[in-house]
Amino acid sequence: MAILEITDVSAGYGAGPDILQGLSLEVEEAQSYCIIGPNGAGKSTLLKVIAGLLHPRSGDVVFRGESLAHRRPDQVLATGVCFVPQDQALFPEMSVRENLIMGAYLLKDRALIKERLARVYEMFPILAERAGQDAGKMSGGQQQMLAMGRALMIDPILLMLDEPTLGLAPQIAQQIFSQVEQLKSMGLTVVIIEQNAQRGLELADWGVVLDLGIVRFEGPSEGILGDPRVRELYLGKAAGSGEKK
Amino acid sequence: MTNVIQVAILGLLLGGVYALMAAGLTLAFGVMRIVNLAHAAFIIASAYISFFAFDKLGIDPLLSVVFVMPIMFFFGIAVYQALFRRIEGSAKFGEMTVLLTFGIAIMVEGLLGFVFTGIYRKAQPGYANESFIVDGLFLPEGDILFIPKGQFFASLLSIVLLVGLWAFLRYSQTGYAIRATTQNRAAAEIVGVNVRRVSAISFGLSTALAGASGALMSYLFPFFPFRHWQWVAVLLALVVLGGMGSMKGAVIGALVLGVASSFVVDQIGPTWGPMTFYLALFLILLIRPQGLFGKEVPV
Amino acid sequence: MIEDRAAMGPEDSAPEPTPEEVQRPPGPARYRWYVLAAVVVALLALPLFRPMISSYNYVLTLGALILMWVAMSSSWNILGGYAGYISLGHSVFMGVGGYVAGVLLYYHGISPFLTALLGGLAAVALGFLAGFITLRTRGPAFIISTIALLFMFLLMTDNFEYLGGAAGLPLPPLEVPQEWLRVPFYYAMLFIAFGAVWTSYRVAHSKFGMGLRAISEDETKAEVAGVPTRLYKISAFAMSAFWVGVAGGIYGYSIAFIRPTVFFTIAISAQMVLMAIIGGKGTVAGPVLGAVLIYAINEFSLVVFGATEFNIVIQGTILVAVLLFFPLGVVGTLRKMNRLPAFLNWD
Ligand SMILES: Nc1ncnc2c1ncn2[C@@H]1O[C@H](COP(=O)(O)OP(=O)(O)OP(=O)(O)O)[C@@H](O)[C@H]1O
Ligand SMILES: [Mg+2]
Repeated sequence: MAILEITDVSAGYGAGPDILQGLSLEVEEAQSYCIIGPNGAGKSTLLKVIAGLLHPRSGDVVFRGESLAHRRPDQVLATGVCFVPQDQALFPEMSVRENLIMGAYLLKDRALIKERLARVYEMFPILAERAGQDAGKMSGGQQQMLAMGRALMIDPILLMLDEPTLGLAPQIAQQIFSQVEQLKSMGLTVVIIEQNAQRGLELADWGVVLDLGIVRFEGPSEGILGDPRVRELYLGKAAGSGEKK
Repeated sequence: MTNVIQVAILGLLLGGVYALMAAGLTLAFGVMRIVNLAHAAFIIASAYISFFAFDKLGIDPLLSVVFVMPIMFFFGIAVYQALFRRIEGSAKFGEMTVLLTFGIAIMVEGLLGFVFTGIYRKAQPGYANESFIVDGLFLPEGDILFIPKGQFFASLLSIVLLVGLWAFLRYSQTGYAIRATTQNRAAAEIVGVNVRRVSAISFGLSTALAGASGALMSYLFPFFPFRHWQWVAVLLALVVLGGMGSMKGAVIGALVLGVASSFVVDQIGPTWGPMTFYLALFLILLIRPQGLFGKEVPV
Repeated sequence: MIEDRAAMGPEDSAPEPTPEEVQRPPGPARYRWYVLAAVVVALLALPLFRPMISSYNYVLTLGALILMWVAMSSSWNILGGYAGYISLGHSVFMGVGGYVAGVLLYYHGISPFLTALLGGLAAVALGFLAGFITLRTRGPAFIISTIALLFMFLLMTDNFEYLGGAAGLPLPPLEVPQEWLRVPFYYAMLFIAFGAVWTSYRVAHSKFGMGLRAISEDETKAEVAGVPTRLYKISAFAMSAFWVGVAGGIYGYSIAFIRPTVFFTIAISAQMVLMAIIGGKGTVAGPVLGAVLIYAINEFSLVVFGATEFNIVIQGTILVAVLLFFPLGVVGTLRKMNRLPAFLNWD
């Protein structure tokens, strides 16, 4: 059964045009999804709508039977949907530890927070090493790990990552990918936007191609990867190398 | 030598009060990017409350913070809800806040003038004209230092409030949320901070600090409605000097300029005291536009 | 809410389309010139109708003041409207003009009708200097520095004996029969208002003006697009000082004294800002209309409520209300609704 159902969602910024134009998508529990598509297709916008940062103009977003369409971001988060945005997700003048604690802002139980903190440190040992350092002073890769680690503090059901490997060196990106693998294996539902379509689709169970504010294609990742139309239109020359920048 | 110490002490005492005044201003800027040109007008409005509480009811101005702060806290929240929420997310928000608070300042000034007229006021509690006298210690034979009681108590209260504010921001859940919103509003929203609520509370805190500052002003500095422009110019100079939005910067800026202006007054004359602030402002803009502890040019 | 704050820092918020980009009403563009000509002729001819105006001097004084405000808010608009750099200390330039002309009259007996332009140039010089320093910042920090500039001058004039200190200097009155006394001032202010509005119009229609508007929309983009932003901003600051300075020179003479609190007070700057905003900042006609409107409201509230602080409250309330509900001002709002009469459309 789908835990997230997006039906006919239109959304845009301010008085601007619709960026999402009647988009529909279903997300199954414990599956992973990779969203690809050209720049400006509306990928980030879609995640913002789900996260409650941007309200849809029409249509609905239903998570586990509850509509999220008109909820505040904190209310969405409380239902178990967590978003890691494309960039600048951290509190630069707070320490790594404080950033993680902020991730559990909605929780009241101190013991639980401690426990989660230990779990995140275990997953990302580098964060434990740097616990006292200001988040703003860490490298790009470390910051990304911190952003992911912080998202895990709330123990989300659905985790959405917007281009987590953007601008990272290949080995670092590889590390991030393997962390995502690990999250998948823990039973989390993951939605990831990835510029490196090849790599992203290899990681995910399901591929979603977004263009001009609607879902153009979707299907099992191998299918999407192999689909000649997708290859031609969206993977382009990147199909072989996996690079699409 | 004794004179230098004396002047420095007076400057520090003054700086302590300035720090409290500037803290509220910088808090509103830090969290909401609101440059509150009405901050000094709020201070003066609060000074009237404390003044009349003393004059009519005999309540000590220092004690009056107990009710002036809550009054101003809720007043601030009301102002925030009524005015600032409307312009949230509008293009050129920073500029809008300046103009809006400019209008609010004019309104408050006019209302105060209308109700209380333009005459000078100053509460006169017993300690306002008394001093502690320090002698002996390390001082040369026969030299003494004066520590005006009024200023001393004011600085003490200011320190207590600032430490309280610091602890609140540092350790409380809401404090975390306020700091998070200051550093990265979008990220705060993502981790589940209700940024509107936090903004309203921060603005309330900021005006509550204006309230406490007003209580102190009621007996430290003669005031009348129009005075707030001079004050806001001084406070803004402090805040820009320290780096807009930086609490640490505001406090250090206040202490440094408090001492500096105290020396200017001593050496050149009392009318030139405020010049210290304006010159410091221009100097800092020339050398380091983002201020001592600011990170970027605020836009 | 609705806004996407995740990706929107204060800098990269998408710029609203300026009024200029909005479709212009196709109205009869010709007739606005007739309206303008009629207004000009009426203003020029007004003093000739002495027998028909009951309180002649009062009317001319009022006319001169309105014209002065037209000039000052139009000048303010060059920096605050076109370039988007709000100055809350613009009356400093009025004061500089007033003091230059006043001092030359007091100590050397030279008529301000000759030296007011010099006062304007002094204001320009100050504009350059101040702009050089303050325009290193933008937004709030800039605004604050303009307030500080104003207070610095208040403090200095307050304390310089040569300038008469806080009491100021009395100026010898113009030697003209009492019944004609207001006429020269009226024509001087009319000249100044023409000059200022003409300057504003020319700037609005120049490459320089386009550059300023680009700066106002997005300074970084303007810079990338090759606009010499720093030069333009400083020039705009200096240019917006000129007519304010000239007006100050004439104004001091017309009230027969100069004094710090006449010029270096934020209330005067506030008026310029208020007029430009209520009329429509960034438009040519807005500040003119705003000056007339605000002046009318002021006079009205003085008559109704007496000379109380109450009209200050009214002004503050108007400013807040306009900002919240019609941030584009009268001209901007009408244009957005496609209802702007052609005679107000000079952009
Ligand atoms: N805050 C905003 N305000 C206005 N328009 C925006 C905003 N953010 C994005 N847009 C517009 O929405 C459209 C889609 O943007 P979005 O960020 O969703 O694209 P994307 O698919 O994530 O692209 P990319 O691969 O570049 O990240 C773009 O045309 C963009 O200009
Ligand atoms: Mg994106």
